[in-house]
Amino acid sequence: MNKNTNQADLNRREFLKGSSFSSLMALMGGIAIQADDKPKAGDAPTNYKTTGAPVKCALIGCGAWGREILKTLAILPNAPMVAVCDTYGVSLRRAKGSAPQAESHEDYRKVLEKKDVQAVIVATPTHLHREIVLAALQAGKHVYCEAPLAASVEDARAIATAARASLKVHFQSGLQMRSDPQRQFLLQFIRSGAMGKTIKARAQWHRKQSWRYTSASAEREKDLNWRLQKSTSPGLIGEVGVHHLDTACSFINTLPISVTGFGGIMRWNDGREVPDTIQAVFEFPEGIRLSYEATLANSFDADYEVYYGTDSAIMVRDNKAWMFKEVDAPLLGWEVYAQKDAFYKETGIALIADATKSVKAASSGGEEAAYAEAPLRHALQSFIVNSNAHSSGVEDFSANFDVNDAAALKEYLESINKVKQPHAGYKEGYETTVAVLKANEAILKGQKIEFRKEWFSLK
Amino acid sequence: MKSYRSHIIGNIFVTLLLSVFVRVNTAETWVTYFAAPNGSKVKVEGTSTLHDWIMESQIIGGKLEFESGFQLDPSLKPGKIIARVQVNTPVRSLKSSKDSMDQVMQQAMKQDKFPKIEYRLTELVLKEAPKAPEGPYLFDSKGELTIAGTTNKIAMPVTILRVSPTRLKVSGATNVKMTEYGVTPPAPKIALGAIKTGDDIKILFDWVAVQRSETAKAPEKTQ
Repeated sequence: MNKNTNQADLNRREFLKGSSFSSLMALMGGIAIQADDKPKAGDAPTNYKTTGAPVKCALIGCGAWGREILKTLAILPNAPMVAVCDTYGVSLRRAKGSAPQAESHEDYRKVLEKKDVQAVIVATPTHLHREIVLAALQAGKHVYCEAPLAASVEDARAIATAARASLKVHFQSGLQMRSDPQRQFLLQFIRSGAMGKTIKARAQWHRKQSWRYTSASAEREKDLNWRLQKSTSPGLIGEVGVHHLDTACSFINTLPISVTGFGGIMRWNDGREVPDTIQAVFEFPEGIRLSYEATLANSFDADYEVYYGTDSAIMVRDNKAWMFKEVDAPLLGWEVYAQKDAFYKETGIALIADATKSVKAASSGGEEAAYAEAPLRHALQSFIVNSNAHSSGVEDFSANFDVNDAAALKEYLESINKVKQPHAGYKEGYETTVAVLKANEAILKGQKIEFRKEWFSLK
Repeated sequence: MKSYRSHIIGNIFVTLLLSVFVRVNTAETWVTYFAAPNGSKVKVEGTSTLHDWIMESQIIGGKLEFESGFQLDPSLKPGKIIARVQVNTPVRSLKSSKDSMDQVMQQAMKQDKFPKIEYRLTELVLKEAPKAPEGPYLFDSKGELTIAGTTNKIAMPVTILRVSPTRLKVSGATNVKMTEYGVTPPAPKIALGAIKTGDDIKILFDWVAVQRSETAKAPEKTQ
């Protein structure tokens, strides 16, 4: 924004920016009713809370990512941890630091036996998901299963099929970007046609790190480095690319039809079997291709995604997004007032979800803007809210109708699913897992794999 | 519409007496339609200074009973119909698609203390029977609506459609004020100022009820 802008003009701009977004959000449906902490004189004071009932959670798998999950759950107001579980004592003790009230268990079955555990978050190594997720569903717990669902198509299918059959619980796949408000916002934006016709997409994830963990015990070290062994690892494309591919599928609005992959061990030739540098080209219908690159050998330009359309390109980076318009693109109007950032020789128009909150945060001079929050937080928040909605739906149905009437219950729960908070369910989890596992196969073989429709079907 | 809490006790007494009387004489022969688990919808429409809002639920539980031998038939003459209706909708099943709004509404409606919105019919009068059996039967109804623990008498026109020989669809709508039920209309503050929800709301419903072959029983609870 021009630094010479006078105060009155600045306020007008701030207002216009905010009001255009508030009307946009209003058009997008629903009214954001939030607690009013300072009612004006004459207004009836309503001090209603927006937080739902607590859902008692257990975490199975307290590795580095599991402990991230714990820290995130700790800031949610309605996700008390009642149990943490890991087969490795050190991880378990470290997890207790973020969840001092929780019971510790080395055997996940003990956790599932606990009546007060309502929801389970499974963050074990990918190849160990199946047994635990199936047992958790069987025990009637809501399940959040980290992405990818599994390290083999067969396991992923078993998990998705069981999740579909478990009517009375909520199942959420760890494809956290589906819950991210910034990406939800972009999705609406892309659907509105602001990008023009989609041409192609590109995404990258660049790091300089080995992916290797060390431990005093050789056995433990082997377990820790499951990502480096072909038999247990879905590779970079499976462990990291799964999130980028999922976003791309959601933006392009369809599944890929083929993948061509390449990979090699370019830096970390330490006995690992899994490439540290990969490239994969996913082909979508109508000739759209997503080119994906990931490496552990160079960190330049970190990670970002770009979606190219005939009217503009959209770059997503660090949970922010910018639009780069073509000179012949139609004028949308609002972009005149939008915040702009310079990128080398280009000007990016900022696309910010919940801009009204950002304006408020900026004017009150503190609070982090809403979009800066991690997608994991939104995914877990959705999980808690959705688990609650699911449980109360089943209870309300049982109180009035025959709960053993599976067809009727299913129909009712589908109506609840429609109003759940944005999340990836078993279907999205399964489809994306299949696509990245096949891509990993293509990368290891250095070849093209045509996708068969039946691979994605759960029948 | 007038709040009449003071008369509730009296009403319960009369209802109890009536139901005992009814049970003794005709309990076995009432024609009962039970709420179907699917196909029903209750919709709450409201306003605010920003824009209108809607909450919906698919759950209407309960039953509808007609006196012995009663048949919805085009030959019915306008007049009073002996019928009992007791239905409910769980408050938390009302969804707006915004969880924060749902949470606010549940607190405004004191969901923890009064988890159900309840309705009990007190009088049903046939205004007009259709010419063909599949046409709509038009009624005037009187009943008691309980929201957030407060009961008020309401009157509304009701339409009954005979969807199949054993399936009825009952539809109607009524306007109520939140404050008449002790509910303070939420007045939240959003980024650019305060918004206020309007006191007036409209409740619309389509209720599907199915006749079951088993003998009708008197309602387990009369109130």
